[in-house]
Amino acid sequence: MNQKIRSFGVIAIVTLWALLTFFGWFGPKQEMSEAERRPLKQMPEITLETLLNGKFMSEFEDYSLDQFPLRDSFRQVKSLFHYYVLGQKDNNDIYIADGYAVKQEYPYNPESVDHALNRFSYLYEKYLAESGSEIFMTIVPDKGYYLGQESGHLTMDYDAMFASFEQGMPWAEFVDITDTLSAEDYYRTDTHWRQENLLDTAQKLCEALGVAAPQAGDFTPAALERPFYGVYYGQAALPMDPETMYVMESDLLKDCTVLDWESGKNNAVYDMSKLESRDLYDVFLSGSRSLLTIENPNASTDRELIVFRDSFGSSIVPLLVQDYARVTLVDIRYIQIDVLGRFLEFNGQDVLFLYSTLVLNNSSTIK
Amino acid sequence: MLFSSVTFLYYFLPAVLILYFLVPRFLKNTVLLISSLIFYGWGEPKLLFLMIFTILMFYFCGLMIGRSAEQRWKKFWLVTSIVISVGLLGLFKYADFFIDSFNAVTGLSIPLLRLALPVGISFYTFQSLSYTIDVYRGNVPAQRNPISFGAYVALFPQLIAGPIVRYVDVARELNERKHSWEDFCLGLRRFLVGLGKKILIADNFALLMKLFRESEGKSVLFYWLYAVAFMLNIYFDFSGYSDMAIGLGRIFGFRFIENFNYPYLSKSVTEFWRRWHMSLGSWFRDYIYIPMGGNRVSKARWVFNILTVWMLTGLWHGAAWNFVLWGLLFGVLLMVEKWVPALQKLPNWLRHGYVLLIVCLSFVLFNAESLTQAVTDMGGMFGFAGVPLVNAESLYYLRSYAPLFLMGIVGATPIVRDTARKIGEMPYGVALEVVMMAVLLIVCSAYLVDGSFSPFLYFRF
Repeated sequence: MNQKIRSFGVIAIVTLWALLTFFGWFGPKQEMSEAERRPLKQMPEITLETLLNGKFMSEFEDYSLDQFPLRDSFRQVKSLFHYYVLGQKDNNDIYIADGYAVKQEYPYNPESVDHALNRFSYLYEKYLAESGSEIFMTIVPDKGYYLGQESGHLTMDYDAMFASFEQGMPWAEFVDITDTLSAEDYYRTDTHWRQENLLDTAQKLCEALGVAAPQAGDFTPAALERPFYGVYYGQAALPMDPETMYVMESDLLKDCTVLDWESGKNNAVYDMSKLESRDLYDVFLSGSRSLLTIENPNASTDRELIVFRDSFGSSIVPLLVQDYARVTLVDIRYIQIDVLGRFLEFNGQDVLFLYSTLVLNNSSTIK
Repeated sequence: MLFSSVTFLYYFLPAVLILYFLVPRFLKNTVLLISSLIFYGWGEPKLLFLMIFTILMFYFCGLMIGRSAEQRWKKFWLVTSIVISVGLLGLFKYADFFIDSFNAVTGLSIPLLRLALPVGISFYTFQSLSYTIDVYRGNVPAQRNPISFGAYVALFPQLIAGPIVRYVDVARELNERKHSWEDFCLGLRRFLVGLGKKILIADNFALLMKLFRESEGKSVLFYWLYAVAFMLNIYFDFSGYSDMAIGLGRIFGFRFIENFNYPYLSKSVTEFWRRWHMSLGSWFRDYIYIPMGGNRVSKARWVFNILTVWMLTGLWHGAAWNFVLWGLLFGVLLMVEKWVPALQKLPNWLRHGYVLLIVCLSFVLFNAESLTQAVTDMGGMFGFAGVPLVNAESLYYLRSYAPLFLMGIVGATPIVRDTARKIGEMPYGVALEVVMMAVLLIVCSAYLVDGSFSPFLYFRF
């Protein structure tokens, strides 16, 4: 009996093995991994040269991994096993705490902070020192700030980072927004914060900037139709539910236009053409853009604001614009500081540096 | 090519199995030889010529030893095979080590050769040497069929990480071996167990070791976690590879020798080396130690024999001084155990603890990139590195890896094997066994797909 069961079982295993082999060889090939947001490797070219120098072999290894049948399901199996059977506290540096997928950002990277500080100081010396601007700095904590220690995970030394920027930017007023946020203010599957939960934070920033703070009654949260799978959804490869993304609509924002300096086009604050994009968060101010200017025809003042920012700025800046006639967003990860003067005149505008701990701890992308 | 790769599991192996079982018996060795050369050439296309040269050279020398009527000519061809193969091994593996050491002593700056180390060269050289030596000794006739001989030298299941299969042990199977469904089932089971040991346990410990090396917040606890992780990593990596080799061999009709027998159960260093990498230990015993006179010589000569063999054992593992010291350390300990019989009367727990501690420390030396790093690592374990006893980072990794350490420690004992046997004897226990095999295949594939990919440790030897 046992022999029969073993034979039957081995036949089943060999069949499974053969099916995976068959679909690996002859199955349809995928172009993109939606979960990982990257193109997948295609069959490499075979030439005598690539065979002899081993390039074909190494590229074939990548291809075989990328085109493995049911790839995302297998990645999920790995994550589940790693997390729940091997009892690992994180999988690919992502952990789940209170239902939130969190990147374990550890350790604190003082070299990266120094690099960011150097670039900010250079920017200040080049354009702002003589401009008469009032300058503010705020750091957006990542989810790990609220969830890491409590769930027994490693967290960077946030105090050291905040202190470094406070001391390293004596020309800027530091605005601490950590007390206006909590874990619920972030998406469960993504790095970013939820715009609909940022009124407290926006109010604190507006108070510091000396402009009218936004009120809940000014906005109507509107749900986007497409479900939102954040960047950690793919990286964690764990079963998580998609989320609903809201944008805070208002008549004032509807009248605003956003000039994208790269394309020369005018867009809306919420760019609904990005509803089909890979990352739904791109709806906020069209995603990663180097230089944008929001014109607000209904502003109560003629004040202007320049925000040096990362992607967290895309969702909070719309909540800051109501008193400003013009708000310019600059992402110095995508534009050289030296060329900024060709596009912008620095003449006393309010200036806000708004960066997340994630970017500041990995700041090599700041040019 | 690595066993633990999608290319091997889902491209190479299925194609070879189909071809192998489709062709008539007289072509099976041809399939094995060609597929083994593809397997080797996949990772080392330019060094394929070295493999082919090795096959032809040993084939010819073996043939000449067999045909020579006079002893002196037999000896000539034996010495030729030894000089050429050891010369190639020395050139590719040890030349830079000797040049570097010579430069350090003399202050000269002779340029290094910087030749790429051919994968598995130590394994297939030792394996092939056993052939000409055994033919010379008259233990086995020379192989006349170059295809069969080539299949033996290049046999992909054990080509790059052993076990070191002697020609005499597989000579008969090379010519006439049987294949059965039962062997296929048992071979597949053994292969999947080995794959699981490598991917699920060894590779995850390798990840912890990488985290340790990258960490700037080390502690005494982290040094110990690293040391124990490597001890388990090297065991599961190497014994996992041996399991896969033995399993594949069985599928193809070969019975390879066992290479590990729960070495961490040992109560003496002598016993440890009877249980660890058994094919290498017995090779050195039969082809170096005994021909040197073994222990049937004066005490001084015996000490010389032991230290020579263990220095060579260390060097076999790598061309660096930490490997030499590592080998000599075991040589000295083996002599101490022989000279101080009272050690055997100590309580079992103490003897067991002593072996584990010695082996753990020896592997720290083994895995260090330099002697300085070895001293730092050992100093760190005993609180001499100026680091705290514990910190948040080491506690985190202790908590995160505790289940894996538990699995590793239990898996290094016969508990899992014995439990599996008992379950197998229960009604429908076999069903559970095959379910576990399927789970192993799926989970290991999942790890590979997710990018859990690291080369086998023993490749560099």
